[in-house]
Amino acid sequence: MVILNKNGFKLPRVEKEKFTLLMRLGLEYNSQKMLFSIKHYNNINQLQNVLQDILKSEIAFTQTCIICGTDFGCSTCKYFKACPTKDLPFSCICNQCLRPKKVMQQQVLF
Amino acid sequence: MKNDLWVEKYRPTTIKEVIGNEEAKTLFTEWIGNKKPLKKAVLLYGPPGVGKTTLVNAAAREYNFKIIEMNASDTRSEKAVNRIATPASSFTGLDKFSSEIKGNMLFLDEVDGIAGNEDRGGVNAVIKIIENTRTPIIMAANDPDLEKLRPLKKICLLIRFQQARIPLIIMALKKICEQEQVKYEFEALEKIALNSQGDVRSAINDLQGLSEEGKILTLQDTFALSLRNKNISMDETLKGYFAAKNVAEVASFLNSSDAEYDDLLMVIGDNVARRYTDIVELAKAYDYLSQADVFRGRIGTENWHLFKYFYNNLAQVAAVNPESYKPFEFITPPPIRVITLFWTKTKRTMLASICTKIGNQCHVSKYEAKMIYVPYLRLMLQQKNKTNTLIEWLKLTSEEVTFLTSLKMF
Repeated sequence: MVILNKNGFKLPRVEKEKFTLLMRLGLEYNSQKMLFSIKHYNNINQLQNVLQDILKSEIAFTQTCIICGTDFGCSTCKYFKACPTKDLPFSCICNQCLRPKKVMQQQVLF
Repeated sequence: MKNDLWVEKYRPTTIKEVIGNEEAKTLFTEWIGNKKPLKKAVLLYGPPGVGKTTLVNAAAREYNFKIIEMNASDTRSEKAVNRIATPASSFTGLDKFSSEIKGNMLFLDEVDGIAGNEDRGGVNAVIKIIENTRTPIIMAANDPDLEKLRPLKKICLLIRFQQARIPLIIMALKKICEQEQVKYEFEALEKIALNSQGDVRSAINDLQGLSEEGKILTLQDTFALSLRNKNISMDETLKGYFAAKNVAEVASFLNSSDAEYDDLLMVIGDNVARRYTDIVELAKAYDYLSQADVFRGRIGTENWHLFKYFYNNLAQVAAVNPESYKPFEFITPPPIRVITLFWTKTKRTMLASICTKIGNQCHVSKYEAKMIYVPYLRLMLQQKNKTNTLIEWLKLTSEEVTFLTSLKMF
């Protein structure tokens, strides 16, 4: 599985038609940094399929923790299997932020 | 603490408080904050219960807009849409100048439900309004892929909503626990969130039902939650309903019941007198029940936005004094009212026929005939004094005469 950073990722060179399709589905291309990023999220499922086709591998986007702002992959989440919306959307809470008190308690105990 | 529903108490009032869907929230706030947006209308879509309506209400509050809403309970034909939405979207209200209110915001909830003869021409009317609008127009739908919505999609900014994720639900539950000073085991909140299947509302209801003042909410307490996805029969619903310790627990039982609301209302009415022995408590319970009945009548087949009032009043019946509960034998369906109606059908038909005859001859309504004429007619027939002319004039049959003379009360 390839994990892509939603804020900027590289793709191999694609044909003009495919590039247009990617743009139409909501990608944006920064020609200076040569990076693709997601502009619109409405067609994200179709976009994911096209990207999987280009990269010839399963892909997942990184999630941003709404509390600490770090990027992490869904596969690291404890609730990955039970989650109703795997991989999408891109905001969630990371494991560290979800149980901060326990971490503190452990520190106190030691 | 236990008499307020936490779902209502902790309903998000700001955009930030709406759980999940960060991308959708950002897109929406960008659009609403833009004075000259590219698209004049926005279509929020996604499964039910993910916060579309809550977000619109929160945004209206935050950006000082006055919401003018048309939902599935309103008729949304071309005429109705033009009557309500056209003035709301094209004129500026006087309150814009007298207060901080920025103006109107038109909110069309459940636009995918615009269908059938009643709503004919509704979508086209909405499109025309969007083209000429001066105010923000927001629409919400569960299924945007419907053919009839295709022209609407072309002129709207589409914003997709997804179900709330488990970590986000846990975080919301944690916040509520902290504010309500409920002590908890993390695993218990985890179980509640997993059990809710992305439905924040049901998770909060479960939390309220399980938490008790001064007690730690443990994982063991959440084992009862396996009941949620089962359809509980009428008998089990009644047991759980009357034995519940608070409003949230009652709501939880009503939620998972497969009984019809009308049947439930009547059966609860039959059993309330057995549940409360104290007259004051009984009066209070009947008061809530009568209010629930009033709202059920107002809901009819259309006004489902009033359902929450019906539901809350029905839940309050069992929560008048949970501590006084002692197990009792239930009167189970069919309810007494239904049986009474069945046994009195012949009598009611006979009386209706007599009243029709009186109404035809005396030019009065059936109701007036029943309330004013029948008591005197009964007395006259019982006297048997020159009644033949009257019977002939009213064209009463011998059975009807016998029925009237033996009538005790009506």
